[in-house]
Amino acid sequence: MSFIEIDNNKCKSCYLCIDVCPFKLIKKSETIGKTGQNIVEFKDENSKCSACKMCAMMCPDIAITKVWKT
Amino acid sequence: MQQVYSTPKSIKKDSTFTFCAGCDHGLAIKLVAEVLDELNLRENTIAVASSGCSVFLYDFLDVDCIESPHGRACAVATGIKRAHRALNEEKFVFTYQGDGDFASIGLSESLHSALRGENISVICINNTNYGMTGGQMGPTTVLGQHTTTSPNGRNVKYHGYPIKTAEQIALCDGTCFSARVALCDIKNIINAKEQIKKCFEYQKQNLGFSFVEILSSCPTNWKLSPSDSHKKIKEELSEIYPLKVFKDIKEND
Ligand SMILES: Cc1ncc(C[n+]2csc(CCOP(=O)(O)OP(=O)(O)O)c2C)c(N)n1
Ligand code: SF4
Ligand code: SF4
Repeated sequence: MSFIEIDNNKCKSCYLCIDVCPFKLIKKSETIGKTGQNIVEFKDENSKCSACKMCAMMCPDIAITKVWKT
Repeated sequence: MQQVYSTPKSIKKDSTFTFCAGCDHGLAIKLVAEVLDELNLRENTIAVASSGCSVFLYDFLDVDCIESPHGRACAVATGIKRAHRALNEEKFVFTYQGDGDFASIGLSESLHSALRGENISVICINNTNYGMTGGQMGPTTVLGQHTTTSPNGRNVKYHGYPIKTAEQIALCDGTCFSARVALCDIKNIINAKEQIKKCFEYQKQNLGFSFVEILSSCPTNWKLSPSDSHKKIKEELSEIYPLKVFKDIKEND
């Protein structure tokens, strides 16, 4: 089961990662981040993440700090 | 389990970018850091920061950094490169500048560094305005574009034409590499990194002035979401500012 790690203190809620994930595994969360907006969370109930790392490549704030492939 | 992505080593630990949400400056600096890592340049680099939104470059990159007065980054880089050469030390020296910094207030320093074939590299962020000071019209503001100092849109009769920086730099005989790239989608991000890598490698090979212009978003001053800003670059701005390599002395030979 591949997965990503998001640093909640770095996410600025730009939502560029949401657009880029081919499986739509990143969504707005309930948590409010430092920009006053909802930060994002990774939810992959069906183990679809392929560790393509496009979300990490797209994040301008390096808030997606790690991508793990299994 | 295998880690397939990690924060570049050339980014300072625990540093947080000061850019607005979704600003392409962050993407550009990340790519620069990745290239510094891959070319093993971190310990031997002196980065020259400029005035603009990227003024705190020294807080983000884990390399030696010097701040330059507005527009003078190429002149400062020239001095650093030459002074170290005089001491028989070869340093990797690059500037990171906004378009206002490089192509307006600093145009003379920039152009003459290219004409001298100064062996430095330049990353120039073209976000079509003066971002840091509140989105005034800059040298790259496109015709019709509304900014705080062109509230009715840039008008050719009154304001003149925007500059095509990468094309102009390619015309200089001392330039070894000049390209324009964008960061509006994954394909372009991959290409941008390749061109930045080439730009840096050419300096290592002593080929002359190497330059990459990055067509970048400024969601705050464009008053668009980060996603719509990328769409604007893809659909409108890249038509006006073509994404291509304008000069590569290795290819032309
Ligand atoms: C000599 C001087 N004049 C004016 C300024 C004010 N100033 C600071 S940043 C800036 C504009 C920077 O715009 P740009 O280079 O396009 O970079 P961006 O902020 O868009 O990344 C200006 C005019 C200054 N710092 N120094
Ligand atoms: S791209 Fe990065 S900063 Fe933007 S919403 Fe996703 S994790 Fe947060
Ligand atoms: S003002 Fe524009 S260029 Fe400056 S940090 Fe904000 S979005 Fe980026």
